[in-house]
Amino acid sequence: MMQMIFLVAVLTVIYFAYPKAEAIVNGNSVNFNSINANVIIISENPDFSNPSYINVSEKNNVSFILEPGEYYWKSDNGIIESWKNKFTIKSEVGLKIKRNQSKENESELVNIGNVKLNITKGEDGVIVGHVILSPDESEKIEDSGNYTGRQTE
Amino acid sequence: MKKYFVIICLIISLMLLMVIQNVNALGLAPGRTTLEYEQASDTEVKLSVFNSEYKQMSVKILVQGELADYITLSETYMNFSSLDYSKEFSYKIKLPEDLENKPGLHTAEIVVLEGSEEAEKGTYVGATVAVVSQIYVYVFCPGKCIEADLNILDSKEGASLDLIVPVINRGKMKIEEAKAVIEIYSGEEKIETLETNANPIEPRMRTELSAQWQNKKQGNYKAKVQVFYDGEKTTFEKEFSVGEEIAGVKRVWVNDFVLGGIAQFRILVENKWNKDLTDVFANLIVYDAGHNEISNVKSASENIPALSEKELLAYWDTKGVEQGEYDGKLMIISQKKLADNDLVLRVNENSLEVLGVGQVIGSVEGEGIGITKLLIGLVVILLIGNIIWFVFYKRMKKKK
Repeated sequence: MMQMIFLVAVLTVIYFAYPKAEAIVNGNSVNFNSINANVIIISENPDFSNPSYINVSEKNNVSFILEPGEYYWKSDNGIIESWKNKFTIKSEVGLKIKRNQSKENESELVNIGNVKLNITKGEDGVIVGHVILSPDESEKIEDSGNYTGRQTE
Repeated sequence: MKKYFVIICLIISLMLLMVIQNVNALGLAPGRTTLEYEQASDTEVKLSVFNSEYKQMSVKILVQGELADYITLSETYMNFSSLDYSKEFSYKIKLPEDLENKPGLHTAEIVVLEGSEEAEKGTYVGATVAVVSQIYVYVFCPGKCIEADLNILDSKEGASLDLIVPVINRGKMKIEEAKAVIEIYSGEEKIETLETNANPIEPRMRTELSAQWQNKKQGNYKAKVQVFYDGEKTTFEKEFSVGEEIAGVKRVWVNDFVLGGIAQFRILVENKWNKDLTDVFANLIVYDAGHNEISNVKSASENIPALSEKELLAYWDTKGVEQGEYDGKLMIISQKKLADNDLVLRVNENSLEVLGVGQVIGSVEGEGIGITKLLIGLVVILLIGNIIWFVFYKRMKKKK
């Protein structure tokens, strides 16, 4: 009986002392919402080597932008450190050709995705050139052929 | 009078039509799916195709590459109406059993091609776009083998550099200890030898080994990296530059802001180069919660003399904008992109805060006890309590 009371008491203390936080991913942005955590520890590695520490003791709602990839995180409140959690920022490849109707041959190729792209230009099935564009970067192009974008690195 | 008004309206409409940009756009997510051989077989992967311009279009989907014969698409053709932003399709992978005997990386590509009736008839002459989702399947080696790279963080002149060696255990066995030695060369001369920390790596897991270099000089360098793991070694080289950042954003602030009005962003830009920068402008992009672009504004172009600072002004019309946090991107451009900063804009009724990733702090003291350790401790306490209680009970029984 005593053991049961002891166990229930300990589990209750753990429940209230456990650092509670959630991560909401939206596109490239992650929002950490903390209830009783002081710090969020985040790393690209499951062993938390080279982590970043995000202070959530003053503001319990913190958002920031991350590169696409897998991330591991745990919360800490100075008493207990939580279990390991994981989220993924999805990579998106996107290409846009902007044409200016008033000026012939003035076309621009824009990387509208969130990763660096290796773009090859093909004509009649033959690769005739390539360009590397970071997100939001653009390059003037000839308005012919097919431009294929794939993630680099 | 009325006649003139109609003619002017017609001319303006015609001019507007002339400058309207004709756009082709296509997006695909995820850009890459990485799978292990064991989990790849009989896996279904979902992909999303984006029609960000809300155009009526059709797309063709095809598979190519080494593993193409083992991939089955749910769709090979899709139609988008001007109301469709995105559509999903999937592919299934069924890999051959003999692939298990070929350790390493095996790939395939899902290609989504923009199509149109004109293109099919051969009457369309303009460029088209295609986007690729890559499939990476790793077959792990039976023993110990690794994949490693070198990343340089904060390569600014005069600062200490963080040299990070990410190492992935591509084998089925645990690596007890992995560490790296990095030799830095300026030309042919070896100028520094650095040793990283050592970490164990569980099978199929990733770790990062790091070292710091107190660098003082701008220039191009070569790093020779040797990664030692349980008696084995992998060597590779990588070139990197220090002090290449030409311009940087020193500060961004907004004064006298009222929601619904026009926010004036004052962007202080520093020219870190020893030459004048001409036609420098700031480009601020603001995204909504769905990461859709809601504003894209540019400042006027300015010349910034060598090693000096200048304030650029950009204006954001917040009419129709609600209170909340918005992701933003601030780029400094002069012929090419000089700086790229991710921002968070916190919009309130009477204030607009511009936040970078400044919440990241260097280190933390007094970390809590891991929950696993705590539970183990609890089990040990209960075990000791039981033993004490058992011994006490036995003694009491003996006395009776």
